[in-house]
Amino acid sequence: MKKALLSSTLIFLLVTPIFGAVHLGNVIEKVNLPIPADPADRSYLGLGQKAGQFSLGDIDADIVIVEIFSMYCPHCQRHAPTANKLFEIIEADKKTRGRVKLIGIGVGNSAYEVKFFKKKYSIPFPLFDDGNSLILNKLTGIKTPTYFGLKKTGKTMEAFSIDQGPYDDPGAFLEDIIRKSGDSL
Amino acid sequence: MKDNHLYVLMAVTFFMCVILPATGIADVPREEIYQVGVLKPVDSTLKVKVGDAAPEFTLRAVSGGTVSLKDYIGKKNIMISFVPAAWTPVCSDQWPGYNLAREEFEQLDTVVIGISADNIPTLYAWTHTMGTLWFPVLSDFWPHGKTAEAYGVLRTDGTAERAIFIIDKKGIIRTIDVHDINKRPPLEGIMGELEKLNR
Repeated sequence: MKKALLSSTLIFLLVTPIFGAVHLGNVIEKVNLPIPADPADRSYLGLGQKAGQFSLGDIDADIVIVEIFSMYCPHCQRHAPTANKLFEIIEADKKTRGRVKLIGIGVGNSAYEVKFFKKKYSIPFPLFDDGNSLILNKLTGIKTPTYFGLKKTGKTMEAFSIDQGPYDDPGAFLEDIIRKSGDSL
Repeated sequence: MKDNHLYVLMAVTFFMCVILPATGIADVPREEIYQVGVLKPVDSTLKVKVGDAAPEFTLRAVSGGTVSLKDYIGKKNIMISFVPAAWTPVCSDQWPGYNLAREEFEQLDTVVIGISADNIPTLYAWTHTMGTLWFPVLSDFWPHGKTAEAYGVLRTDGTAERAIFIIDKKGIIRTIDVHDINKRPPLEGIMGELEKLNR
């Protein structure tokens, strides 16, 4: 009996994080977002139409990095300048510009709160709100910030990485994401 | 006997790997936060109304000393933010937003006062995880919940409601929002009410 319990516990400890990550990845792959009103955001994402919803697979990119944040989260507030630096690094390198795109979703945040956060930190990449908490409720227990890496497979996006908590070095973080995607870019 | 061990192994593994994650228990925990579940949205009866003079109070501040409502009357608009309890999910995601909006509150000539019925050491440890808050955080611990009770926002379990009171410079209550305790009051609602005071 002891052996069985020990074995079960070991299996539990090994597979639970994987199940959790897979679950969260599945949620994020299926997220639909409103087409941004800002023409610059639409152009960045490669979205032609001016209204309605889009799926992450509609984004014109090989890799999409999705930052899950909250305006109310102190870690997200402190980390905002580093996320901006990540965007700058992506855009400054011709190997990644246009192929790696970055967006943020303010989980549980209203449109006003997301706009407030964007203005406060001069965030240059598209941010989306979750005023009705639909996305937050599906991402049970998620920490903020969390970063998902997704890559295009056909017309959809497949989540290949999840990093919870802030990172210190945006350049190293980007390299790590690209490495985990299996794409050499 | 070996077969029995195998069945136990399968059953326990199934429970731990399938049932627990399905309940959300095995999702990534926010280690420091005590999960309270869904609570009765409002569990108290207001004792003040819009247009009343705000009840005076003097409470101990986390930063030391005491803070009274009268310290600000005649000088600033005042937004009192009662929160239910330290180390709980929604509360932990409320004051850091007001911290970020310091400039906007100041432009609206408003001071925020945070109040909870927790004791000072608890509030000290909790608020330090939020960084440096620019507004006073006060403890309504003893006599327990006296100020929350004076406003009519003390719940039957001894915690305060998640309530916002906006008080003008004359000390008159201009807005009351006893919010659903399970949800955070949106920032736009607060800013909209404060803008009305400055028109």
